[in-house]
Amino acid sequence: MTAAQKPGPVVQGTLDMLILKTVALQPMHGYGVGLRIEQISRGVFQVNAGSLFPAFRRLERRGWIQGEWRATENNRRAKYYMLTDAGRKQLQSEAREWQAQSAAIARILEATSGEV
Amino acid sequence: MRIFKIFGGGLRALFGKQRAEQELDEELRCYMEIAAEQKMRAGTGRDEAARETRIEMGSVEALKEQVRDVGWETHIESFLQDLRYGLRMLRKNPSFTIVAVLALALGIGANTAMFSVIEAVLLRPLPYRNAGEIVLVSSTWDRNGTLTSYTSSPPDFFDWRDQNRSFSSMFAYRMSEFALTGLGEAKRVGAVMATAGMFSTLQAEPMLGREFATEENRKGANHVVILSHGLWQSAFAGALDAIGKTIQLDSEPYTIIGVMPPDFRFPLSATDVYVPIGFDDKVMTQRGAHYLAVLGRLQNGVTPAQANDDLSAIMAQLRKLYPDKDDKWGVRAQLWSAALVADIRPALLVLLGAVGLVALIACANISNLLLARATVRHRELAMRRALGAGRARLLRQMLTEGLLLALLAGAASLLLAHWALVAIVRFGPADIPRLASVGLNGPVLAFAMSVSIACALMFALIPALRSSARDAAGLLRTSVSPTREAGRLRGALLIGEVALSMMLLAGAGLLLRSFVGLSSLSPGFDPKDILTMGVGVPDAHYKNSAALQSYWDQALTQLRALPGVASVAAVTPLPFSGDDFSSSFRVEGRSVPEKDEPSAELRFATPDYFRTLVIPLRQGRTFTEADRLGAARVLLITETAARMFFPQGDAIGQKIQFGARGGYEKNEGEIVGIVGDVRHFGVDAPILPMFYVPLAQSGMDGAAVVMRTRGFPATLTQFARKIVQAIDRDALVGEPVPMETLVSASLGQRRFYMMLLGGFATLALLLAAVGLYGVISYSVAQRTQEVGIRVALGASRSEVVAMVTRQGLRLAAAGLASGLVLALLLKSVLKGLLVGVSATDPATLVVTALVLLLVAVLASYVPARRAARVDPMVALRFD
Repeated sequence: MTAAQKPGPVVQGTLDMLILKTVALQPMHGYGVGLRIEQISRGVFQVNAGSLFPAFRRLERRGWIQGEWRATENNRRAKYYMLTDAGRKQLQSEAREWQAQSAAIARILEATSGEV
Repeated sequence: MRIFKIFGGGLRALFGKQRAEQELDEELRCYMEIAAEQKMRAGTGRDEAARETRIEMGSVEALKEQVRDVGWETHIESFLQDLRYGLRMLRKNPSFTIVAVLALALGIGANTAMFSVIEAVLLRPLPYRNAGEIVLVSSTWDRNGTLTSYTSSPPDFFDWRDQNRSFSSMFAYRMSEFALTGLGEAKRVGAVMATAGMFSTLQAEPMLGREFATEENRKGANHVVILSHGLWQSAFAGALDAIGKTIQLDSEPYTIIGVMPPDFRFPLSATDVYVPIGFDDKVMTQRGAHYLAVLGRLQNGVTPAQANDDLSAIMAQLRKLYPDKDDKWGVRAQLWSAALVADIRPALLVLLGAVGLVALIACANISNLLLARATVRHRELAMRRALGAGRARLLRQMLTEGLLLALLAGAASLLLAHWALVAIVRFGPADIPRLASVGLNGPVLAFAMSVSIACALMFALIPALRSSARDAAGLLRTSVSPTREAGRLRGALLIGEVALSMMLLAGAGLLLRSFVGLSSLSPGFDPKDILTMGVGVPDAHYKNSAALQSYWDQALTQLRALPGVASVAAVTPLPFSGDDFSSSFRVEGRSVPEKDEPSAELRFATPDYFRTLVIPLRQGRTFTEADRLGAARVLLITETAARMFFPQGDAIGQKIQFGARGGYEKNEGEIVGIVGDVRHFGVDAPILPMFYVPLAQSGMDGAAVVMRTRGFPATLTQFARKIVQAIDRDALVGEPVPMETLVSASLGQRRFYMMLLGGFATLALLLAAVGLYGVISYSVAQRTQEVGIRVALGASRSEVVAMVTRQGLRLAAAGLASGLVLALLLKSVLKGLLVGVSATDPATLVVTALVLLLVAVLASYVPARRAARVDPMVALRFD
């Protein structure tokens, strides 16, 4: 991945996993989640509010994250999301699946004609 | 577990809705504040940071909508919202609502009524346990390649029963009647004369007592009877000790051995008594005597087709074994339920198709109305779109409105269907099995509901797709005036409506023409002013023919003396009564192998019969009072029979012997005259060759009295019955029935089909007229401005009227042309229903087209007149 790559939306179907991972590191409010994904991906992924909030609602409904109102470092109130136990299991299984898939894809892409 | 969580979250959201909304609002506000804060920290000015954040966020309302959409509860919520909104819209436009609901209710109601007929007659299982295993076995007769079904002979029945490998049991029966005496006035009771095995085949048991024993099949041992529940109640008040008592049937004692449960009906309708059939040894030699209906229950896993093959093989064997058996006889096994309605099914399915078209026309109508309204609701939709409603949301709302309309109409249609069913039960023909049991039961209600929903989808989808298609900006830009495209769509719908109506009307017209043609056919006699009355003479009282003769002499003489009676005669079987009597015969001097002997219908009549019914004498003489018992035996022959059996024209003087192969065994005679043909089974039935025997020489113990009256004095019917009853109290005297009633009942099914299709076609015409009127009025309203300009520029009123009417007629003409093509498709559909008229009968098609054209002119003329009254000044200021 080069720094010249333009920021874009996350890979289809992975947003939920990325959010789970982000809030697994530490409880975080909505803006923070978006910012953190952008930072860690070094600007490759950009998540706007339009995708973020429906995803929060979805994950919350499934019981994988839960929200709590807390004060921010600048003394504002914000809803912080944190991982539940069920969410942790879900994250593990999704991450495992993703790693297996991406490794497989990588193998295919790196295949040379000799290997076929 | 998860499902509960999701569900629970939804429930909490539904009830804690306000809190959740507040929380979402606050969360989004915080998000924006933090975002702006971050930008300010990066050096952006306060206002600029807020602006950028807002742009990045996009529409907050749309975002909230997306978040809400995550949970299932929002769908219910928005559905309820749509429902409320839809109701408000319907209330706000009462004229639209009433027209739409009424039109749809007519369409759905007609469908519901028709379906309940189909349900009762075709779909409902027969009222016996495992009725799908019961098979009707009939004899078939090969008439030049076409097989006609007949009843079967006792020897054939026993051979089938004993040799087959397909049936677990089989029985034979015939219908009969008895005079029940000794319990007050003599009462006619309907009887099933059956072999043992009837109850086990039907899997029905008597509620009290026992069923027939095998040895009771024999004549002499068969004086036992099983009562229906109804007769047990009326004759014995439900007394348990009725078993073992005797009742008098035709003046002979029968011991009651059982009572059937109240819901037992066989064959299909209630019968009063069940009696063992009572065979003597002689019947086993009469392979040509066909009078038994045979039913069997299939063994597990055997199909009707396999049973058919099995029996056919047995029949082939029998033909070899009994060379006197005509090789044209075969056998056929088919599911009883299918055999019962084999003749009726195609007609009912055609009618179901027709009524489906009516629903389609109604839907096209509503679709058109909705399209017209969509142009009016244009701005409303644009506004909602701009405020963040997605396309799917608008589509859903419009479909909900359609559904609401359809369900209202569906509810109203039940009332219409109920009335239709009352009429059908009252006026429907008696010979459609189980027609009287139609009702708005579960399956019918489910059908009505599904039709309503299907209609809603059909009529609401096109307008909904159209008006939700464009985006908000597009919607807002276009003005209220309709697009050309919408006009074309509405025109096309209307053309379709007119075309379908044309097809239905043409079909109804053809049936009507066919029916009128049939009604004007002569039955071969003059039924006007003829009163008929069945008389059953108890043969126990008239052991010899002379006594019987004097009974008839007495009865006919007394009836003749009644005021208002012109002439009186007796005959059996009575034309149009459905009863039948035929026999094989031999012409003296012709040597024909026994199995090739011809057969003909036989009628037994008194001398005045031909004068009373006005049956013309063609040659020779009719019967006289001198043709009595002991005198030389004489016969009359009908024209068709004379032509068929004596093509040289030498019928008179020939001697005939009956019944060598079964049938009428007692008689022979010399042909003394030729009389006109009578269509015994109905004016639409073929003419069969027939002989007449003097009743006095026949020994027949029952006959029907026919009286030619002078215009039916009302008192006559009661007197006639009392007079005959007074001669012998045990005689069975039926209610007098006018001959014309019998003749018209024979066309009952045809009349029924014609009335139904006529009703559907009328509905279609009405709906098409309303549709045309709606389209033209709407377009007149839209063109007010244009018309105003035309009038201002000097167009006369008549020119305006002509212009608008022309528009309507153009649409109608296009519909008629396509309808004509559709009407040509009727040929194969109506094939079996038309008699004496071609399916492409030009006169019917022309008249149909003219009727539709006239309706089209009227439907467009009314709005055209309105257009012509437009004041140019008002029109020009209009929008």
